[in-house]
Amino acid sequence: MKLYYFSEMPHHEFPDEEGLKYPSLRLEFPNRFFNPAIAASNYQRYLDEYELADQAGFDGLMINEHHSTPSCVNVGVNMTAAVLGRITRRAKILLLGNILPIEDNPVRMAEQIAMADLISGGRVLSGFVRGVGVETWWANTNPVHNRERFEECHDLVLKCWTDPGPFRWEGKHYHFRHVNPWCLPLQKPHPPIWVPGTASPETAIWAGQRGYTYVPFLVPFDIARELFDYYRQGAAEAGRTVTPDNLGFLICAVTADTRAKALEAGRHFVWRMGPTLRAPLEFMSPVGMRSRAGNQFALRARPRSLAAMSYEELIAEHFIIASTPDEVADRFAHIQKELGIGHLLLEAQESRMDHPTTMRSIELMGAKVIPTMGALA
Amino acid sequence: MEPREETMSVGGVDVHVWKGGRGDPLLVLHGAGGNRGFTRWLRQVAERYTVWAPTHPGFGRSGDADWMETVDDLARFYLWFIEAAALGRPHLLGQSIGGWTAAEMAAMSPRAIDRLVLVSPAGLKPETGEILDVFYYPAPQLRAMTVHDPKTIPEWEELYGRPPTPAEIEIATRNQEMTARLAWKPYMHNPRLAHFLPRVTNPALIVWGREDRIVPVECGEQYRRLLPNATLSVLEGCGHLPPIEQPDAVARLVIDFLGGTRS
Repeated sequence: MKLYYFSEMPHHEFPDEEGLKYPSLRLEFPNRFFNPAIAASNYQRYLDEYELADQAGFDGLMINEHHSTPSCVNVGVNMTAAVLGRITRRAKILLLGNILPIEDNPVRMAEQIAMADLISGGRVLSGFVRGVGVETWWANTNPVHNRERFEECHDLVLKCWTDPGPFRWEGKHYHFRHVNPWCLPLQKPHPPIWVPGTASPETAIWAGQRGYTYVPFLVPFDIARELFDYYRQGAAEAGRTVTPDNLGFLICAVTADTRAKALEAGRHFVWRMGPTLRAPLEFMSPVGMRSRAGNQFALRARPRSLAAMSYEELIAEHFIIASTPDEVADRFAHIQKELGIGHLLLEAQESRMDHPTTMRSIELMGAKVIPTMGALA
Repeated sequence: MEPREETMSVGGVDVHVWKGGRGDPLLVLHGAGGNRGFTRWLRQVAERYTVWAPTHPGFGRSGDADWMETVDDLARFYLWFIEAAALGRPHLLGQSIGGWTAAEMAAMSPRAIDRLVLVSPAGLKPETGEILDVFYYPAPQLRAMTVHDPKTIPEWEELYGRPPTPAEIEIATRNQEMTARLAWKPYMHNPRLAHFLPRVTNPALIVWGREDRIVPVECGEQYRRLLPNATLSVLEGCGHLPPIEQPDAVARLVIDFLGGTRS
């Protein structure tokens, strides 16, 4: 099983009581609490951590993109991919991912991902996401078009990568008279495509039909299995065989020299389970963004919100793993056995987890956990 | 004629219609909240006019129209509806996004309608304020902002007094989705509409609630300035839903206006 290192590059350097004065940290928390000097040094620090993760032996470095929130100030996944492509040498760079429905120019997106693939020597794994509602508000994209734009943007990006230009694109949401990108991916026919999932059966089926790697984020095991069943349904429709390489899972994980230190560090993940997700439903899921089936599945997928769970419960349910390297390796093996996955994505830094703690966790993962993963799956 | 419901096919869309009353035809276009049918104000108006109150495509029990993108699509659709229903040259009344639709119809084809009544219409960008983002707020908070004072609303119990049924929730979601489809961006207005309104010389009545927190009353002034033959009637102590909040006053205003000298 392959391990991936991931940080949301948070900007949690503000008094928490200030955040509580607003309906959400997303969209509404004023950016006067954004501190450019701190953000500048945070970027250096987060990139140093990614660099070490590459050296320590992680199979991949995962990055994502959000907007208008202190929980993630990685505001340009392709920009970060290009930087990582230059400062790292070995690991795959997993963009998970570009937010297709809010993109107004898929041709530029295709060029930028291609450029990151070229700079990194063909290490890009190109994830495509529908995004949470916050990004729809940020971009002011009509939420009722979310799925249509996701699919059309995907189709145009793929065409940019695989069909010789120049060509014309007159779709429903995208219109380009002269498409002829002079920047194409190194990987042929194109970088592997990954898709995350939390609650949408349609997305799981869609990914299965295309053989893309599918990764549920922070859901209970039984929900992950159910989503994988939808994925298999889609794969079967297209006559595809599903292997562990098609399936991934995302959790939060940290290790340290002692169990006590790891447990202390792991508490920082609680911030991303509650405070950074606190928002009116309308912020996260504006009207029409999800199908009725997706809405119903979402209600079942989250019988209890992550915010309502204690730290101990989050650990017991495998949303957070925080322990010594040996125990962490055992828990990863358990997850692999439960879900049959080939890729485990570790959200490995959060909130105010400090630089030394993060670096030590990466070192220990490299020295003691990653070497045991090869025997799995 | 007692109010009754029927379904008409126009342009491949099955349109649910409330119909009733006697007298000259009056086409009534509902707002984003959906078609409430013959509530108190409309029953009074129907004593003098034959009311046609269709449910917009994509709303309530009307068929889907996922291909529509803007309120001018809806306006063109209703110009077709007028022909399909053989309404001749009806009076036209619209409320909120239905008012915006009515204004677009009048600008597209002023001679297709007789008199025009706009009740708290969206459609114009306020010169100083903003149109409230109705998609951004949870339903209870939004409802509190939509009306001025629930205690003064005679039909409050009938309309909002019990929790909605699952079927009603489904319809409310449908109504919201279609509203988003038509009015997400530019939000609740058409930047070009103001350029066409001076074409509409039809007698027009604009009705607004002074305390409207959804579409500010300054938009009523803008409509009055742009429409060459319009009067603006502002109701005190009233929010965004004059026909619900002050049904008797609205019915009287509408009947008096439509009963004036024919154009």
